[in-house]
This record gives sequence, C-alpha cells and structure tokens, in this order.
Amino acid sequence: MVTKTEETQLNRLESQVDNGGGGAWEYLCLVRKLKVRRSVKVLKHGLWILNDSKKRSSLGPEEWTLYEQVAVAAMDCQSLDVAKDCVNVLQKKFPESKRVGRLEAMLLEAKGSWGEAEKAYSSLLEDNPFDQVVHKRRVAMVKAQGNLSGAIDLLNKYLETFMADHDAWRELAEIYISLQMYKQAAFCYEELILSQPAVPLYHLAYADVLYTLGGIENLLTAKKYYSITIDLTGGKNTRALFGICLCTSAIAQLSKGRNKEDKDSPDLQSLASAALEKEYKQRASDKLSALTLAFKTLKVSS
Amino acid sequence: MAEDLVLDTAIRDWVLIPLTVVMILIGVLRYFVSKLMRSQQNPDAKVVREGQVVIRARNLRAGANFIPAKSFRARRAYFSNEENGLLHVPKGQGQNPQAQMFSDPNMAMDMMKKNLSMIIPQTLTFAWVNFFFSGFVAAKIPFPLTQRFRSMLQNGIDLSTVDVSYVSSRSWYFLNLFGLRGLFSLILGEENELKYDISNAAMDDTQRMMQMSGFGMDPTKVGLGERVVNKIMSLSIHYLASLSFGCCHHFAALGQSFALHVAAVMLLLSLGRSIGLLFFTTLDMSRALLGTRNGKSGKNLSAEKDGLDIIQHEWALPKFEQRAEAALKKLIS
Repeated sequence: MVTKTEETQLNRLESQVDNGGGGAWEYLCLVRKLKVRRSVKVLKHGLWILNDSKKRSSLGPEEWTLYEQVAVAAMDCQSLDVAKDCVNVLQKKFPESKRVGRLEAMLLEAKGSWGEAEKAYSSLLEDNPFDQVVHKRRVAMVKAQGNLSGAIDLLNKYLETFMADHDAWRELAEIYISLQMYKQAAFCYEELILSQPAVPLYHLAYADVLYTLGGIENLLTAKKYYSITIDLTGGKNTRALFGICLCTSAIAQLSKGRNKEDKDSPDLQSLASAALEKEYKQRASDKLSALTLAFKTLKVSS
Repeated sequence: MAEDLVLDTAIRDWVLIPLTVVMILIGVLRYFVSKLMRSQQNPDAKVVREGQVVIRARNLRAGANFIPAKSFRARRAYFSNEENGLLHVPKGQGQNPQAQMFSDPNMAMDMMKKNLSMIIPQTLTFAWVNFFFSGFVAAKIPFPLTQRFRSMLQNGIDLSTVDVSYVSSRSWYFLNLFGLRGLFSLILGEENELKYDISNAAMDDTQRMMQMSGFGMDPTKVGLGERVVNKIMSLSIHYLASLSFGCCHHFAALGQSFALHVAAVMLLLSLGRSIGLLFFTTLDMSRALLGTRNGKSGKNLSAEKDGLDIIQHEWALPKFEQRAEAALKKLIS
C-alpha cells in the first residue's frame, strides 16, 4: 500500500525529473521501493542514466539493479529491444543467476511465446519451488492468455502453500468476480478483511459482492459493510454512500409485507443520501438532477 | 599490592591497539568468508507451509470480529477440526529438534562449515597472539577486582602478586574475541547480529552440540537469553560511545586512560555475556526439571489452535452502523 505522503512525494519527484530538475536516480529508487508501476517514466529516465556511461558507473553495484528495473519497465512498454539489451548485459555479468533467468523468462513472456516462457518458468520452479515471483508470473501468463479458469487453478494451488499472501487472494477475488463466481469471491474478500481489517477498500468490495449475491440476509450484511467503509473513510467514499441507499431500497422491497424489524435503517439511509446530495452540490452541481431522479426510482427519501 | 606498575606507552601503541585492530579486521573478514560459505538452502515445504498457516490463523484470531459469524465458524473448523484441520497436530508427532537434526544431514554439514570457519582462524590468531604478544601487561582497568578474576584477566602471567586490575595481552585477546560482538553489529549492520553472529557462531554451535548430546534446549528460550545478552551489550556500547565523546574533551589526557576505559568496556561486555549465558542455562535447567520438551513447530501450531478454540466470536459490524451514522452526521453538519 502506498500512503498519501509517499504518493505526493513520488509525484513531486516525478515532475521535478520531468522538468529536468535532476534526481532521476532518487526517483527510480522511490519507484522501486514503493513498487508502483510507472513503466514509461522509468524506461525514459532509466535509459537516460544507462546511456550516460559516467552516470552509470557512478552508481557502483546499483547499476545492475537499474538494468533489471529498466528491463522490466521496457517489457511493460513493449520496447522489447531495450529489454533484450538490458537482459543481455545482465546475463553477461551474472551468467548463472536465477534472477536473470527469471528476467529471460519474462522476456519470452513479453514476446508472447507462451510455450517457451512456460518451459523456462517451470525449470526455474524445479530449482526452487518456493519462488513466489515465478509462481505469480505463471498465473499472470495464464491470465494473459485469457484462460481464467486455468489462472484460478494455479492461484488456488499457490495459495495452498502461501496462504498468507494477500495480494494473491485479491487477484483471485477479482478473477472470480469477472467470472461472476460471487460466493468464491466473497470468501477471498473475507480473507483480505482478516489480513488487513483497516483497509476500507476490502470492506467495500466485500459489500459489493454481498449486494450482488442478493437475498435479505446478504443485503443486511452488505449494508453493515458499507457502514464500516463509511466509518473508516469518514463518509468520503461515494460508492459506499450509494451502496447504503441501494441496500436500503432493496431490503425495503424484499421485506415488503413482512413486519419491519429494522427501525434505525431509514435514518442511516437518509443521512447517506443527504451526504451524497451535499457532495454533488459541491462538486458536480449539474448532475444533481440525475441524482434526485435516481433517488426517486429507488423510492428513497432524502 | 605495594605500588602501581607503570605501563610503557609503547605497549599501548604496539600491543593494545594493534591487537584490537587485528581482532576487528579478522572479525570483519570472517563475516564475509562465512557469508560466502553459507550454502543457500531451500526451505522445507512443510516449514514454509506451517509458517503461512500460523500467519493466517493469527490473522483470523485478530480479525475474527470483522467477518460474519458463519464465515468465522467455517474457518475455525477448517483450521482446528480434529480430523484434518490445518492446525491440528497429531499426538506424538510434534517433531523435536534433535530428531530433526539427525534426520537432516545438511544441517550437520552446515554446522561443520560454520564451525570450521570459526575454529581455524581462531586457532591461527591465538597462535599469532601467543607468539608475538605473550607476557605483556597491556592495560589496567580503573576499578579493583577480586582474586577470582585473575584467571580471566591475567592469562599468561603467572604472578600472584600483580594486582588483578592489570590485564595481560593474552587476556586482552580473549576479551576482544568475546566482547567485540556489539561493535560488529554496529559495523556490519544488524542483520548479522541475530543469527549469523560472528563471535557467537561458535558458541551457538556448542550449544547445539550440547542439545544433540541430550541436554535438551529450546531454541525459543535460547533466543530469550540471547536477547538479554544483546541488551547488556548495547548498554555497554552506549558506555563506549559516551566515553569516546568524553575523550574528545580530554584529548590531552588521552594517553593511558583511554586504554583503561576501553578495557573497562571490554570487561563489561564479557561480563554481560556470561550473565546472559547463565540466565538462559538456568531457564533451561528449570524447563528440563519440569520435563516439558516439545518440537518448536508443533508447539506453534497447537498454541495457535488453542488460541482459536477459546476465541469468542462477536461480530463487530452492527456497531459500525451507529458509527457510520455519527460520521455522516458530522459530515453533513
């Protein structure tokens, strides 16, 4: 997770580098540390350092880290020639390295020669069956080929061993959602909530899944998870506010005719719609009419 | 003791300081050599998996109140049912470290390597010190000590009339050997301090050998003792730091007194070490008396299982509706 201060620092550094203010290496280090994906910039500034032999040699042993970073960024930008050059330099320097082997496999993957890449990855896994990066690359590769169920299988196998890896759970949840397998996705989001209970996005996604699943019980639960998202974000999350409104209206429809047990729910809903209205007034007053129309169709009061 | 000995400043320049410098250099060199020799071992599948299971179970315990009761119960059953739960350790299968050591020849091999990288340079430096620096009175510590310290501080000088606070060069070598640990952790970074510590590696292995020969020791308890040692070490390092600042002020009086202070620090370091060692051996004695010995991993798992079993699930979410209302009220107003 990248915090807000880190992001502003990164953006400031990026604009500084873009405008020729120097600090390219610091920028690249920060990108690496935060593990953010800014491949275009990394490629541009990294190459600028690598092409200048004086700057390059002043890095000392960090030079090779930069080669690796630029190679990955180049693959991401489909500048395969650059990537190939970088990998070749590394290959010459570290002929036996597994890390370079991984890069070579990734290069094959970027070229789209899936078969060869798969072969390379499996031989890497034979050497070290606990290389998490290689496992993840394989999943990504299968996913890139459009074989989502294959990706699910691989991820499940991976999670059997590395069951504390929440990024993998998140990926699995998103794949399940894209296949409309909501129950499985809900399980994954529960797992994510367990590992990081203070991240509002997971609560929100879980609530979305529950709402999509439908049924009175799930709707009630979904509403609770929208509430926790509101609490954690201080009411700044528009999606959660809409979620409260939708849930309330759906619950009201389902429990029509039955005796009403939920007494305090209209309160929360009216508060949510009031908050939405206020926000729309402030930021997008031209869309306010659309909002009131939406409220009308939902049959909720504001 | 009638009168003080006057130590030649040449002894400081040609014995005390060179010896210390050489010991530090050897320590650094040994660190890098052992780093080279350390074989990259693939972790055992079972160990990796168990570690992950423990993390996940811990997460479940900590975040239990954030998921619905049904989901929690399903997970608890998955983790701790008696048939095939992930945390369930069948009786008598808790692997004990001794058996593990015998079953894995790599472990013994690794230990041999580490031991060799310790013993060979140690023997060589000891021979070197004996050859060049035998018989010097190298330093004096600034406080009196009882006779018992004589064998520790005056190794190599067989005179019973010399005051105990004088340190012989050979003893200086030993004090350096055991006392530089804290300094190395400053020079070489913290990471080596925990596991691959230099002056400590030999010691650790001796302990493991003891373990092998049936004197049961639990690694976690050793860790505790080690932490105590580390604490004392860092205190002494602070003492050293404050002293060196002091030395800047009294540059003129640096002469002999500096050597004396260094000696005091070394003594503190080695004392701290022995206290720590004593501490955790007693711990282990008491454990041995109680007769509780168990494999580490199995214990971890079953501890997690117990933690999960006693947990009361109370869904925290209903509370959050009110809190959300409060947050929204604040936002609107």
